[in-house]
Amino acid sequence: MVQLIKVNGLSKSFGKEQVLKDISFGIEEGKIYGLIGHNGAGKTTILNSILGLIDYEGEISVLGQSPYDKRYQLMEDIAFISDVASLPRFLKVNQLIKMMSDIHPKYNEEKTHEYLQNSNIKLQAKIKSLSKGMLAQLHLALVMSIDAKILVLDEPTLGLDIINRKNFFKQLIDDYMHDGRTIVITTHQVDEIEFLLSDIMFVRAGELILNCPMEEISERYAQLLTNEENVSAARELKPIYEDKQFGQTMMMFDKVDAEKLAQYGQVSIPNISDLFVALMQQ
Amino acid sequence: MYEWNKNQPIFLQIRQKIIEMILNKNVKSGEALPSVRQLATELSVNPLTVTKAYQSLVDLQIIEKKRGLGMFVMENSQKELLNVERKKFLSDEWPQILKRLESLGIKLTDLIKKEQGA
Repeated sequence: MVQLIKVNGLSKSFGKEQVLKDISFGIEEGKIYGLIGHNGAGKTTILNSILGLIDYEGEISVLGQSPYDKRYQLMEDIAFISDVASLPRFLKVNQLIKMMSDIHPKYNEEKTHEYLQNSNIKLQAKIKSLSKGMLAQLHLALVMSIDAKILVLDEPTLGLDIINRKNFFKQLIDDYMHDGRTIVITTHQVDEIEFLLSDIMFVRAGELILNCPMEEISERYAQLLTNEENVSAARELKPIYEDKQFGQTMMMFDKVDAEKLAQYGQVSIPNISDLFVALMQQ
Repeated sequence: MYEWNKNQPIFLQIRQKIIEMILNKNVKSGEALPSVRQLATELSVNPLTVTKAYQSLVDLQIIEKKRGLGMFVMENSQKELLNVERKKFLSDEWPQILKRLESLGIKLTDLIKKEQGA
């Protein structure tokens, strides 16, 4: 696997407050990475560092370059949708498309037209007249028309209803996710993209507390649903988290044999949001 | 959105769906299966997961990859699959069913009598 991004010992402070603490990870070609964490955990700061939008301590290499020094060059190969990004409201859709083709060397105008053909977005429409769903659709269409190797999405579906969220991700798989292209995505709706991800990273208070392929989750973590009489016996196996569900106790285990657990109740693979809650409280 | 079972890796569930497509003759021997991209988009899953499911069936020689054309169902695949599925039923599912019958106090011999009588 080709490593596109390499982060080594990344730290960042705003004034006296350290918001990233010695973070290291790699991003490989052709995969979809999910960066999950609470508000203020440092997700956006990590993305901004990779994109060269802020300076930082530590080493980052993006496609072999330092993102802070070679920001403009790298923007040709990295496309980006940010949760605070807003398209210029005073332009019409076709003016925005024209502007993109004027400023971005790897932007393909025809592709945008192709993507927008099946949408309700009219080329003559003013950006400010578009609904939130249409804005997200337009933004994605513009960004996917850039022949970029890496796509960075920071809360791309924030504020969208469920149908628009689903369509957004379907379009992403259908139109972008081939030829070894790579996605890094942050979101709060973890459950909706859990099956889209190849790798997952949890960020807690500026630290990377989990970074592994999705397959490893099912090998490593197990969730047990057990009745009162077995609770104390199951506790002997040292759960990392406990919660009550419908009068039963849910326990989360890290690296405990599923067969051992099965004698105390019903064992399943934890979903990502439950695992997130468990690991955040450790 | 498709509802996934929490107790099994997704690629195995996708694999099972493909197996059912072949067993139900939705796709017959020699015919093409949906592309990785199509299945991934329909199910909203990672394309690598679909590739993995297909690859495991290629390894079993149930389907074959034709370069540039995609995945195709092989000759005799149904017979092969039935064998695989029968073995799996007898080793994995049947013991569970027996256990369940026992816990419910249902006698297998009574069940058989009833079924044959009906």
